[in-house]
Amino acid sequence: MTKCGVSVLTTGDEDEVSSCYEEHEWGKNRVKGREKEREKKKRGNARKKGASRAGRGDEELEERAERGEKGRRRRKRDNHDGKGRERDEEEQAEEKSGRAAKNKKNLKNERTRKMEQEERDTEEGDAKRKKKNESAKREEKKEDGGKRAVKEKANAVKTKKHKKKVETSEEEDVEEEEEEEKEKELRPESLSPEELEKLKEAVDEKKKLIQTLRGKPWPMKKKLSTLRESQEFLEKYEGALGKGKGRRLYAYKVMMTKKWMKFQRDFENFKTACIPWEMKIKEIESHFGSSVASYFIFLRWMYGINMILFGLTFGLVMVPEALMGRPYGSMPRKTVPRADEASAMDFAVLWDFGGYAQYSVLFYGYYNNQRAIGWLKFRMPLSYFLVGVGTVAYSYMVVIRTMARNANESGGGDDNSFNFSWKMFTSWDYLIGNPETADNKFASITTSFKEAILEEQESRKDDNIHLTRFLRVLANFLVMCCLAGSGYLIYFVVRRSQKFALDGLDNHSWWERNEVNMVMSLLGMFCPMLFDVISTLENYHPRIALQWQLGRIFALFLGNLYTFIIALMDEINLKRKEEEIVKFNMTVWEASLYNGTVPENSTAPPVTIHPADVPRGPCWETMVGQEFVRLIISDTMTTYITLLIGDFLRAVLVRFLNYCWCWDLEAGFPSYSEFDVSGNVLGLIFNQGMIWMGAFYAPCLPALNVLRLHVSMYLQCWAVMCCNVPQERVFKASGSNNFYMAMLLVILFLSTLPAIYTIVTIPPSFDCGPFSGKSRMFDVIQETLESDFPAWFSKVFSYASNPGLVLPFLLLMVLAIYYLQSTSKSFKEANVELKKKLQMQNEENKKKSKRAALKAAMDLEEARKAMTQNGRNATPLLTDQEGQLPATRAPVPRTYHHGNHGAPGYLPGIPRQTEARVHRAPSLQRH
Amino acid sequence: MVSPAIALAFLPLVVTLIIRYRYYFVLFYRAFLVRVWQDCATGLSREERAFQYVLTNATPGDPDSILEAFDQWCSKVEFISNIGPKKGKILDRLLMEQSPMTVLELGAHCGYSAVRMARCLPLGARLYSVEMDQRNATIAEKVIRLAGFDDDTLIVSPSDEVIPRLRSDYGLETVDFVFMDHWKKCYLPDLQLLEGSGLLGKGSMILADNVLFPGAPNFLRYVRKSGLYEWRIHQATLEYIRGIRDGMAELVYQGIKGGRAG
Repeated sequence: MTKCGVSVLTTGDEDEVSSCYEEHEWGKNRVKGREKEREKKKRGNARKKGASRAGRGDEELEERAERGEKGRRRRKRDNHDGKGRERDEEEQAEEKSGRAAKNKKNLKNERTRKMEQEERDTEEGDAKRKKKNESAKREEKKEDGGKRAVKEKANAVKTKKHKKKVETSEEEDVEEEEEEEKEKELRPESLSPEELEKLKEAVDEKKKLIQTLRGKPWPMKKKLSTLRESQEFLEKYEGALGKGKGRRLYAYKVMMTKKWMKFQRDFENFKTACIPWEMKIKEIESHFGSSVASYFIFLRWMYGINMILFGLTFGLVMVPEALMGRPYGSMPRKTVPRADEASAMDFAVLWDFGGYAQYSVLFYGYYNNQRAIGWLKFRMPLSYFLVGVGTVAYSYMVVIRTMARNANESGGGDDNSFNFSWKMFTSWDYLIGNPETADNKFASITTSFKEAILEEQESRKDDNIHLTRFLRVLANFLVMCCLAGSGYLIYFVVRRSQKFALDGLDNHSWWERNEVNMVMSLLGMFCPMLFDVISTLENYHPRIALQWQLGRIFALFLGNLYTFIIALMDEINLKRKEEEIVKFNMTVWEASLYNGTVPENSTAPPVTIHPADVPRGPCWETMVGQEFVRLIISDTMTTYITLLIGDFLRAVLVRFLNYCWCWDLEAGFPSYSEFDVSGNVLGLIFNQGMIWMGAFYAPCLPALNVLRLHVSMYLQCWAVMCCNVPQERVFKASGSNNFYMAMLLVILFLSTLPAIYTIVTIPPSFDCGPFSGKSRMFDVIQETLESDFPAWFSKVFSYASNPGLVLPFLLLMVLAIYYLQSTSKSFKEANVELKKKLQMQNEENKKKSKRAALKAAMDLEEARKAMTQNGRNATPLLTDQEGQLPATRAPVPRTYHHGNHGAPGYLPGIPRQTEARVHRAPSLQRH
Repeated sequence: MVSPAIALAFLPLVVTLIIRYRYYFVLFYRAFLVRVWQDCATGLSREERAFQYVLTNATPGDPDSILEAFDQWCSKVEFISNIGPKKGKILDRLLMEQSPMTVLELGAHCGYSAVRMARCLPLGARLYSVEMDQRNATIAEKVIRLAGFDDDTLIVSPSDEVIPRLRSDYGLETVDFVFMDHWKKCYLPDLQLLEGSGLLGKGSMILADNVLFPGAPNFLRYVRKSGLYEWRIHQATLEYIRGIRDGMAELVYQGIKGGRAG
């Protein structure tokens, strides 16, 4: 068709005229004068038919065959285009949707007739614009009117081919625009301002298309191809806009925008790459589902917090003391005592954090109580105290803030009311990228469906509920027994170790000396396994089971930790008694020293005594710090060894012994291990708790923990990917993050309790640490206030800390909390109410639409009956058959060609639907 | 010297292991300890003991009662890895659906599965049982006769020797149904032999027992990869012991695709 068109009318004048005609026609069609338009169209159709009868070439035939039904549909539509508005609507819709879909088809068409297209499209664009802004339109219309006169003549000559082209052109217009723009780009100077305007508009439209593409109800393929095309188009022609200098500027601007966008995207990528271990975690997530990944994310978060704690202690405590404080060997507290000097460098001693490690910045005892050190006048004791308080305060802040954020995120729907819908639409974990895990997930979803159905059935019967309840109670009872047993064992071991300590540690073997740590680690390792076995009795959903498991392990660890702390308290008391004795002896010793030295030389008695020889107190703070460090170390070692033996060695054995074993090791008995999310999370949390507890007495603890977390990140990532298999029941863990956080908060609170207790109630050692010589550790604040701040400040502070002021303040805070709590509760209630209302409305709507559909179907039937009675008595049987169908049949796509014959125009309920049904009448007639 | 407290700390581990793997312990006890003890005490083999029990407790000529007696003995007295009643039902169903005319059984053991299959076969079908061990074979023969079947052939020979000779010696063209319950290691070589000898026609079904426990991983891997079969695994538990998961692999031979079709 197109070729034909070109060959017939290539003369410029005619072409222009014809295009004018088209412009007019289309523009008018859209804007106004619908009746007139229809009339004209009819005329046009008549002309077209005549022409088609007369001059149909071979090429045209070909073309027709190609275009097939599309053209037919078009023509049909033209027949009924009296419905101007609807038609316009449809045109717009098709213009949008047609753009990409027709690309391939149209490629052929576009090959030859670029010139023609160009012009026509320009005008078409103009028409569009006209539609948009009324004022411009009017003027152009006049012009059109002028041109129409010319056109009428020319039109006579013209074949209907051009006409047909017009019919199809709306679908093609995008492509044609592209083609046309290609032309233009070659010589952009030659563009008229209108064309430029048009081009700009096209570019804008493309941009808009790209933006709104996501929301379009198209298949993905189409979307992608459309997107690609539009982007290409933009790339090509965006720079071509503007003229001369302006054009260059515009091009530059566009280029810069593009560069900026690219930079932004790269920057985003860079930022993602900067998130430590992000790719690793994503990979794990794809293999094991989000519950395992949530552990690693938690680990990373913990690492971040520990980095900050480490920065605080390292930067404000350890480094200043090491750089500006008195050097090693200058004071008794900074020197290894004479008795230990020989073994102070032994590995065994250092491994136990004795010897030189004990007398270093790593521990509390090394710090001097000098008020200000170095040329900076760094207030060391104050800094030590504030850092200790600051780490805890910071931790509280971070944990609570994260909890609040998580709570906001997880404010979604309730899982109970639409159980099956939730399962149906939300149970897939889209982060899974591993076929095996996907299989597992698939299986778990199917089983969960089965289970849910069973549950639903059983919830009506509820005969088995007593058994379940009994089993759950039994399981809890067993767990209780287990907890009590482990608690007693630890208590027993601690008592024994105290006995050993009284005997002197050297008389006992390594096993006996490390009994407490060993037993604690072993119990912490094995009891969760037992709990796991017991929890199979309970038959909970895995997510709930995980929470129970976490709770139980939590209780176990807490019991262990507190037993340990109680033992430590006993030891502190022992040390303090020892300290009293030492203090007394010191005075005696000093007196004897002076007595001995005074007669000889009265000027410099202390010079003769080396600091290593000075007797010293036991320094319980360092002892506490050492205990915690040892605990952390042994805990870490246990974790790593379990990992290596329990996971890696097992995996290796299973993998390689399987070749020569009498049963299938991989599928059967030992199998590969699964990643134990709950145990690992709790291990992490308790580890952190110990850090918080011990960090005050051993500033090296955060550093150690950072090291440990770093190593375990790599080690566990590797171990998971290399020796674990995906869990059999993969489930989403999006909700459990806040559960971890809550536990962390509890642990934080419980671990700060003993630390604060010791700080507040027990006086510091007299000869070691930054607070030596003070009656309480927090006296350092008072001291600073008195000496470093102006007098009025300390006065204000003392007023402020007056109970008379503090108590009302506390009361106010409590009131505020109560108020906020109650308001949030009322909001929550309102939310629930709203949700209920929404549901009700939904149901109502559903009912209503159902009713409307029914009514429409009935109407249709009536209409059909009426019709058949009127004109079509010949085929009553057929209509009857048809009449039964529409209720079940899917609505026919809208095709807006209303019969000229009078189908009753009664459109109740939802007009479109009924219309869709009503227009089936003509098809009936055709039978 | 390890202190008792540390030893006590291992108690949870021991308890966990015992609870988690209790079925395996039970299996070990029943299938091994009891067997060794009875072997020493009676001087008869396990299969002979089972046969004696069946002889005294079952009605001759009634396959169902024989099977029931076997089940009784295996679940109450001692353990023999027969196919068992539960997995047997799957076998029965498949046979009913398939109604094969030629059935090959690899690993007759003491004839339980042979009786079970013979019961479900259509009229005129023939069952070839292969058993490697002479003593077991005699017992199987007796059991089969006791059940009143004589339309089957018991071949006493290792399966990998029998399969290539099936066509020449026994005049088999194709095998419609193969039941594998012999050494799990032999599943794969025997399957390949069957393929190689051309005994499998399109639609021939192969049922392999115990593919999960004790397990035949290589067999499963091969089946998955070869693409010659439509396969599925019937999940079940090990015969006569509840808690151990096991499965039967059902393969339907599809022939070599593509290559010959073109």
